[in-house]
Amino acid sequence: MSGGPTGDRILYVDMTAQTTRFEPFPEAWKLLGGRALSAKILLEQCDPTCDPLGPDNVLVMAPGVLSGTAAPTSGRISIGGKSPLTNGIKEANSGGQPGQHLMKLGIRAVVVKGQPQDPAKRFGLEVNAEGAKLVPADQYALRWNYALCEELATRYPKTASFMSCGPAGELRMRGASVGCTDQDNRYPARHAARGGLGAVMGSKGLKYVAIDPGRTGVRQAADRKGFGELCKNYTKSYQAGPQMFKTGTSSVVPIANMLHTFPYKNRTSGQSPDAATLDGARIVESFSTRGGGMHNCMTGCIVQCSNIVHGADGKYVTSALEFETLTLLGANCAVKSWEDVADLDRLCDELGLDTIETGAAIGVLMDAGVLEWGDAEAMKALLRRLPEGDERAKAVGNGVVAAGKLTGHHRVPHARGQAIPAWDPRPLKATGVTYCTSPMGADHTAGLIVNPGLQPAQFAWESQKAQLVNAVCDSSGFCQFLQPNLDDIRNFYGALYGTEVSRETIHDLGWQCLADEWEFNKRAGFTDADDRLADCMSQDPIGAVPTVFDVSPDIIQATKQRMPARDDLFSAKATG
Amino acid sequence: MPTFVIPAPYQGPTRAVGRVDVAPGSVRACLDEMERRFPGFRQQVVTGTGALHRFVKLFVNGEQLDRGDLERKLEEGDEIEIVAAIAGG
Repeated sequence: MSGGPTGDRILYVDMTAQTTRFEPFPEAWKLLGGRALSAKILLEQCDPTCDPLGPDNVLVMAPGVLSGTAAPTSGRISIGGKSPLTNGIKEANSGGQPGQHLMKLGIRAVVVKGQPQDPAKRFGLEVNAEGAKLVPADQYALRWNYALCEELATRYPKTASFMSCGPAGELRMRGASVGCTDQDNRYPARHAARGGLGAVMGSKGLKYVAIDPGRTGVRQAADRKGFGELCKNYTKSYQAGPQMFKTGTSSVVPIANMLHTFPYKNRTSGQSPDAATLDGARIVESFSTRGGGMHNCMTGCIVQCSNIVHGADGKYVTSALEFETLTLLGANCAVKSWEDVADLDRLCDELGLDTIETGAAIGVLMDAGVLEWGDAEAMKALLRRLPEGDERAKAVGNGVVAAGKLTGHHRVPHARGQAIPAWDPRPLKATGVTYCTSPMGADHTAGLIVNPGLQPAQFAWESQKAQLVNAVCDSSGFCQFLQPNLDDIRNFYGALYGTEVSRETIHDLGWQCLADEWEFNKRAGFTDADDRLADCMSQDPIGAVPTVFDVSPDIIQATKQRMPARDDLFSAKATG
Repeated sequence: MPTFVIPAPYQGPTRAVGRVDVAPGSVRACLDEMERRFPGFRQQVVTGTGALHRFVKLFVNGEQLDRGDLERKLEEGDEIEIVAAIAGG
């Protein structure tokens, strides 16, 4: 048996000429989606030495292989390009509806090139069953994301979803995100946040993408019966399990605090005295009096980890308030209250900013004495001033390294220019190895390993394994919170295309993705010497037994050499 | 012997060992044994007053243990598992 979805296309958008065209999707690429597809396109079509905010950068929007099918929790989309933050290749992944909608239309990737001659020009990209076209969007310049999507919702059919960049992206700030609308209210609450790809979108004058699949149905598998059985059994098995994310990732706060990986005051400690008031359990408690609750950000999701957070007045504030945001905008800045973090999260979503990068940058300003620790109101005021060109707000919008440069402060926690996420590389050294070696830089979604008991001899394999599993997961469309393993993914691929996908093939797909990304970075000028963390990670100890990141360069380089597959590669779950 | 199944985030004290056999006894007695052999393990599971941490879930042979049931006896062949949610978001 063979077959599966046919007639797939790539949509090319030329922002210089303001034209669009479709090309057939190569048959040889059928198992490439999301992150792996983005890497392949960038390696072939983007000059790695280009200015990330210039016309030669290429912005890729690529749904996963399984997006648009009936596979549970499989609708994620990868946004890719050369990062203005790291100057290397970047993939940032988002939930919401756009991934499923593009794939229902058979569009495996939107590839955006060029730049309008007039940087003041704004455009919207309309995609539907009839085709694709660019339309003028000057009227939306510097419009905040929620107001923009509210207006787009009146302009396009109810079946449409949107991707957008906020003012931060338009102002080409290196911590800018790409917003994606969720499935309930079409709020721009889901973000491909890391690496500043919103600035790449903004630099191209692309304010939004509206995707309307109309009544197009789900993508059908070659082996419909087998695929249906897989969906049913996988869902049943997941729902019979502990469903650890049913109260959201914010519930992780107490465990992270216990493990000394809930960074406080610009990572000078791994524990916050305010863990109890930042714990996601407080958010869940608020549902009974304020409203809100748990929901799924995309259709067909069985994890339902996204919280909808209401204020004391019972009105919607934000969604989803995640562990990473509570850590970086909360504990890392000594903010005590989850409600303040909810306001800050909303501001970041409005402006189109990565909450990790923003919280890390503000933490540096506070550590340098520019702002008071824990002054949430000053943080909100600073973010509101971002569109006005305020120097400190601009530094925050440009990320942790820019904040370090502005203040001359010595403690700037980053790897390759990107802020280190909550999961700290000192108690979690194998995760630190991922931050050093991943083509993505300091990105926990590239290969998170929360095992403080691992010994140095285990770091290289554990990191390589986690990076392989997550690379394949982020190429599949599956959400990392579903925690699929490589056997799960290859079985779904096999049923989708009616052909067996072997363990060797799925291992190769993961490795090729990493190899393409490393090759891009090599051509961009990176060397092995760049595979390191900022000095403060090896100088400032934290933890119950104070420890620094002290993994040897040999182990770090060994992580980038392909190791033979072991059985545990195929049973290891994606984590992020 | 009963077996403790330990998820990765809790393997600091066991130095990445994920399964440990313990002598039959109550859950609390098994935790005491784990603490003797792997100092620092117990405090990951129970509070200073001996109650299960709110964020910890224990499963015996696949069934969730009631939060107050730390006196439950573990027999030969039983598996007691800590389940931990870890994700960034």
